[in-house]
Amino acid sequence: MGFIPGKRGDNMFLGLDIGGTFTDGVVVADGKIVTMVKTPTTKENLLQCILTVVDKMVEDTGSKAFERIALSTTIVTNAIVEGNIDQVGLCIMPGPGMNINDILPVAPYILSGYIDHRGREMAQPNKEEVLSACRHFSSCDVFVVSGKFAVRNPCFELAVTDWIQGQVSPMHISTGGKVSGSLNFLRRTNSAYYNGAVWRHFNAFATAVEEALKMRGIYSPVFVLKADGGTLPLSVARNYPVEAIFTGPAASTIGIMGMNGDAHVSGISLDIGGTTTDIALWQKGRPVLAKEGAAVAGHGTGVQGFRLKSVGIGGDSLAFWENHVLKVGPMRHGPAMAAGGPKPTVTDAMVAAGFIDFGDRALAVKAMKLLALQGQSPEEMASQVLDKAVNGICQSIANLLDEQAAEPLYHVEEIIFETKFVLENIIGVGGGAAGLVPLVAKKLGISYTLPENGRVANAFGAAVARPTLDITLRADTAEGYYTVAELGIKNRLPRGKFSLQNAYELAEKHLAELAQKNGIFIGETQIIQSEEFNMVRGFTTVGKIMTCRLQVKPGVLQYGKEELC
Amino acid sequence: MLNAQRLGLVFFPAFDWAISPTHPEREERLLYTRDQIVEEGLLDMPAIREYKPKIATIQDIERVHVGVPDIASLITNAHLVSAGGAIAAADAVMKKEVQRAFALVRPPGHHAMRIVHGTRGFCTINMEAIMIEYLRKTYGIGKVAIVDTDVHHGDGTQDVFYHDPNTLFISFHQDGRTLYPGTGFTNEMGSPNALGTTLNIPLPPGTTDRGLHEVLDHLIMPILGDFKPDIIINSAGQDNHYSDPLANMAITAQGYARLADTLKADIAVLEGGYSIEDALPYVNVGIVLAMAGMDYSKVIEPNIADCPSQTSSVTHYIKDVIKERQDMWGKKEKLQREAIMKHGEFWQTERSIYYDDEGINELQKERIRLCPHCSGYVIIETKARSSLHYKTAYIGMIPQMACPACLKAAYDMVHKAKKQGNYQHYMVQNKQEDRLEKL
Repeated sequence: MGFIPGKRGDNMFLGLDIGGTFTDGVVVADGKIVTMVKTPTTKENLLQCILTVVDKMVEDTGSKAFERIALSTTIVTNAIVEGNIDQVGLCIMPGPGMNINDILPVAPYILSGYIDHRGREMAQPNKEEVLSACRHFSSCDVFVVSGKFAVRNPCFELAVTDWIQGQVSPMHISTGGKVSGSLNFLRRTNSAYYNGAVWRHFNAFATAVEEALKMRGIYSPVFVLKADGGTLPLSVARNYPVEAIFTGPAASTIGIMGMNGDAHVSGISLDIGGTTTDIALWQKGRPVLAKEGAAVAGHGTGVQGFRLKSVGIGGDSLAFWENHVLKVGPMRHGPAMAAGGPKPTVTDAMVAAGFIDFGDRALAVKAMKLLALQGQSPEEMASQVLDKAVNGICQSIANLLDEQAAEPLYHVEEIIFETKFVLENIIGVGGGAAGLVPLVAKKLGISYTLPENGRVANAFGAAVARPTLDITLRADTAEGYYTVAELGIKNRLPRGKFSLQNAYELAEKHLAELAQKNGIFIGETQIIQSEEFNMVRGFTTVGKIMTCRLQVKPGVLQYGKEELC
Repeated sequence: MLNAQRLGLVFFPAFDWAISPTHPEREERLLYTRDQIVEEGLLDMPAIREYKPKIATIQDIERVHVGVPDIASLITNAHLVSAGGAIAAADAVMKKEVQRAFALVRPPGHHAMRIVHGTRGFCTINMEAIMIEYLRKTYGIGKVAIVDTDVHHGDGTQDVFYHDPNTLFISFHQDGRTLYPGTGFTNEMGSPNALGTTLNIPLPPGTTDRGLHEVLDHLIMPILGDFKPDIIINSAGQDNHYSDPLANMAITAQGYARLADTLKADIAVLEGGYSIEDALPYVNVGIVLAMAGMDYSKVIEPNIADCPSQTSSVTHYIKDVIKERQDMWGKKEKLQREAIMKHGEFWQTERSIYYDDEGINELQKERIRLCPHCSGYVIIETKARSSLHYKTAYIGMIPQMACPACLKAAYDMVHKAKKQGNYQHYMVQNKQEDRLEKL
């Protein structure tokens, strides 16, 4: 389905962000928000709040012909946190090394077979063992296969997958190398495990969404947001549900990128919601990626995300005294008193201090009076609460910058010529931004921007986020092979000289194939990691090892210039 | 801190630094180690915290070394980062952020001596020595024990601490008659004021885990217990591995991991090890796990079948070495008294030092005052010749706790030599004032 202007209405993109408390929805046309809606999140049945938003959008716009409906959903995270996951048959080939049996989410079945760091087959897997693993996991409908260094050679993972398929034909088999193409056996195994464990739940959800839309006569393609700020067609996400963890902060980060236009500044963004503030780091107008994947239920995964920090301070954060010390958050006891809530909050302080106009100012002043010590005016109390909140946020910003500065570097030049991260600007979005961001900026002595409609940056981000994909190509010219882990391929290198440039071109080709297979338009790509080493044996150069990770650049859809699918 | 993590890991593979493109010290050296560490997920372990190296200063380096004509012109930025890596490891331990630390860094340093004319045995400056002097200056550490587990004799570290009774230097290595640098014999025991605090354990080619652990359990550990250091440093070379291309020993990853587990060094610093695919990935994972107090029993090389077993003659030889070294340690006070009696006021030595990387021949004449009040000032006369250069220097060295007489005498000697004018450079390394003076 190509992008045909006019056919699907007025170039309208529907974005939905399902948060912990509220679900936001927007319709964006030509980069502008046409309509927006906020509704409580129906935790027990997410489909319900999704449809509430969709129905409202149809009503507001008078159209069912959206170019795309993109969901940033907590469905996967919730399923994992609430233990609403399937038992999976986790089969691993750990080979020699660290003992990870006790640190995986569930007890694995250990198989023989070892691929070394070069991708060489050092010990073969054993079919008999795989068959007994199948018997051991006879009650499981979903299997997971993960091998050490499978990203350097997928053959063993594929062989074991085939044997399991042949023996028990489970509903689904997740493999580590396909779920994540990066080194880190532990994280790949965790990713693949959770991918398998939520597979059935996510697919039921996907089917329900598709059917409900179809019943309403809505035939727009549905996309799901990923933690790296890209989107995936729902049909593809069905096999990679783990990609849909922690999409909330990613949605708002992409939303900020879209609202901020071409501002190439470095700094931070603050998404100040009801209970938390999400801080992201920006370098020259782009959000900085986290070095490690996201963690879920205490287990690190290979799921790529932005470098974010969350602090438990938001508009609805409770302000209270504890042992004569003023505290702000992290708990929330309903909305602000100004909005009819039960207890004094940060929002009440903002209203009482006159920084924002919200709810009933008299109730906000009353909240501050309740909190004030003897002889303290409500204004003084409000300013003390705001100081506390601002200090808490500034401390987290400082911690995030320290973490960024402490990031290990492996090249001499990087360390000697390292430039310090300089904060230039703060971009504030979310409900609490208008009141708090100017105060934070003042304390840090830098400028700030508050984009219009920043309250719905999250849903806006979902609406405009580009579809993305990434692959890791590794070529070993001494062995004469290259692999692309995400595609599960190991191929002979072309004859003749093979340079890093050739590796990029080969990666582009495979990425394009994958994009086509997944029905994604491939626009601008970027190399997110690349390295090249000469291999010397004796005193002779025998080959090169090259790695390049190529990605469809996450970002904002360019209207009219890009096709969706 | 109660929640201190167990191991601080400063990993710095210097992926953009090589001595030359095909040299064993090239970009590729720690590539497979990086792959293995990352693939295992070691950096995610709660017991392990990764640190970024600092950048050492010239002052940090000149606390140990005297470069001719100056140290800055002889080193690269990589050396500053590698030394800074060792310093970052030391800081993490001293600030009690971690229980112990491993500086898995390159370039290496244990062949670098006090006087530096260039690079020898892949080393230009001595990372452990720079770190130790930093520890002494910053944290007031007194007694230090260094256990050098590289296959090559740590002649640079031995040279730096040869006159220092507060630094116990223990090196086991493949016998100097069969391997570079050809030193590290049992009769090298320290100058008379520090006699016994240099302890060499030459081992025969073909020594296996069994032999190594005999030496560790029956010789090294009891001596460490006896010396009671404030801190234990491990010069953690990995070239005793059975697959190392530059040596002939037969130690495995398990042998190295158990060594780290037994030694419980406060800080380990990587030295050599050039079996970059078959040994380093496994040896480093083993050492990291052992130092972090984690299970290392599954770290076994895929080609372990290639490891030879220990012959009975090697076993007997090692037993004899252990016995002889134990005896020496038992009577070192007596030996020291005899040496001081024999030498009178000055102990001196003359030697030739070869810088294999650059073909420099150095002739060095060294004299130390056997002072009854302090560890004595040192005078070094050095002349270095290569196809390109001829460099000479006359250097006085003043220890931190120098007595007034030694302090004055050192300056007098250097001034007098300068007047005579037989050398190109005249310098005083004044450790009391933490500076190197060019006169």
